[in-house]
Amino acid sequence: MSDIIIATRDLSMSYGSKPAVRGLNLAVPRGSICGFLGRNGAGKTTTLKLLLGMLRRDAGDIRLFGEPMASEEAAIAARRRTAFVSEDKELYPFMTVSQMIRFTRPFFPTWRRDLEKKYLHLFRLPQEKPVPKLSKGMRTQLMLLLAMARGAELLIMDEPTSGLDPAVTEEIMEALADLVASDGTTIFFSSHQLAEVEQICDRVCLIDDGQAVIDGVLDELKSQYRRILLVFDGEAPKELAHFPGVDHVRRRGRTASLLAHADIDTVVDRTRQLGPRSVEVHPVTLKELFLDHVKGD
Amino acid sequence: MLWYKAWLETRWRFVFTIGSMALLFLPGPLLGVPPERLWRSLQLGSALLYCFAALFLAGAGINSQTTYGAMSGFHRSMLFTLSLPVSRRRLFFVRAGLGAIETCVFVVMMAGLTLYWMPGAIRIAQVLQYGTRAIVCTLAVYAASAFLACVLDEMWQFMGAWLCLTVVWLLQPRSDLVSQLSPLRGMSLFSYPATAPMPWAPVVASAVTATVLVCASVLVLQRKEY
Repeated sequence: MSDIIIATRDLSMSYGSKPAVRGLNLAVPRGSICGFLGRNGAGKTTTLKLLLGMLRRDAGDIRLFGEPMASEEAAIAARRRTAFVSEDKELYPFMTVSQMIRFTRPFFPTWRRDLEKKYLHLFRLPQEKPVPKLSKGMRTQLMLLLAMARGAELLIMDEPTSGLDPAVTEEIMEALADLVASDGTTIFFSSHQLAEVEQICDRVCLIDDGQAVIDGVLDELKSQYRRILLVFDGEAPKELAHFPGVDHVRRRGRTASLLAHADIDTVVDRTRQLGPRSVEVHPVTLKELFLDHVKGD
Repeated sequence: MLWYKAWLETRWRFVFTIGSMALLFLPGPLLGVPPERLWRSLQLGSALLYCFAALFLAGAGINSQTTYGAMSGFHRSMLFTLSLPVSRRRLFFVRAGLGAIETCVFVVMMAGLTLYWMPGAIRIAQVLQYGTRAIVCTLAVYAASAFLACVLDEMWQFMGAWLCLTVVWLLQPRSDLVSQLSPLRGMSLFSYPATAPMPWAPVVASAVTATVLVCASVLVLQRKEY
């Protein structure tokens, strides 16, 4: 049994001449909750569809549960162990909640009635209500129920909480954390909600322009990175960008903001040699990491 | 469950097709129209009705796996369908298979009605022969429409299929080859009366065409990016 549930190596895929994913390398361990971050159009949904075998890759390898996704049969076998919640949360408009559950159940031999009952109760879903009459939050909860009750080892979600109110979001986050704690399910989800990613994820992968720019354990990343704020008497010097260990620099007049990830003390010492009036070192938030990497210099 | 899903997603088109037939032909006997006249109208229009049924039922989301059209307006539940542990080939065969069965049911009902009103005696063997050729030739039209549903959106699938049929119909009197092999002639009582011998050429051509088009549809769907 592989400890790495999702592994991609040099994964690439283009829509015509437009590259969507470029040499993506990912490794998501079993039992982790991994947030997949990136701007709109960064390649998140394409990556998720590639993992599920809905799109065909141009180059690179995908391994799910340690098995290569080399054929349609392999993709079907992987989908048997994987549950997916799409971004749009659309289900059959002619079914009620209970019909939708009864319809989905036979497709999955590992379906868990105990989880079905548990989440029906937790989400307070009205069983006889038709799908089109459900609120957006309830529709998301129904999609999650259908995914979580499959007894899947891997749950892949595309923007699971977009457009939901904070109360529903909180309920969903708690349910996901509970699923990982009780069943050891691995969760991989894309999101723009940095606060929720920070709340429940133990790993993050930040993708920009089809490439992973950050991938690692969230706590380690946060302890590894520091924000260094500098104020100079004159214009902030340009050579700051060339310091080793500095990922990004933003200069605005007399001030400069550096995002550094290695050997922070050495970086600070070197900046002091440029004669700044003040130097401050701060821990970084996930939001800062995200913005610095996707907005560029 | 896939068959049940396919039925849920195609049932309204099927009901509409059967309902249209009922609306067209039930008022006749109720209004006292003589069976000979009814039979004559069915004899003339049967091929047209078979084609309409085949085209309409093949447009029921074979590509998009939804209740909506063939391709236009993808419903997002398609992603749910594609995430099921089922091959695309199977998704296609179940969906197209159910559509083909529905088309066959329509053809059998129409053929039954036609022969019921047919003046004069007819043998069981002739009934079976007519039913077989009507089904095989209609399925060729269905397969053509299903193939177009995999590459065109709903409107163009319907229009494109009608255009192809119109071309075949126009070529029939001008080309011996088309005339010999045309499924439109094969399915029509006007071209080959029920008492005539089995017209093997259009039947075999239709069977081959349907097989080739089904294989082509599977290849297209296998390569499709969603």
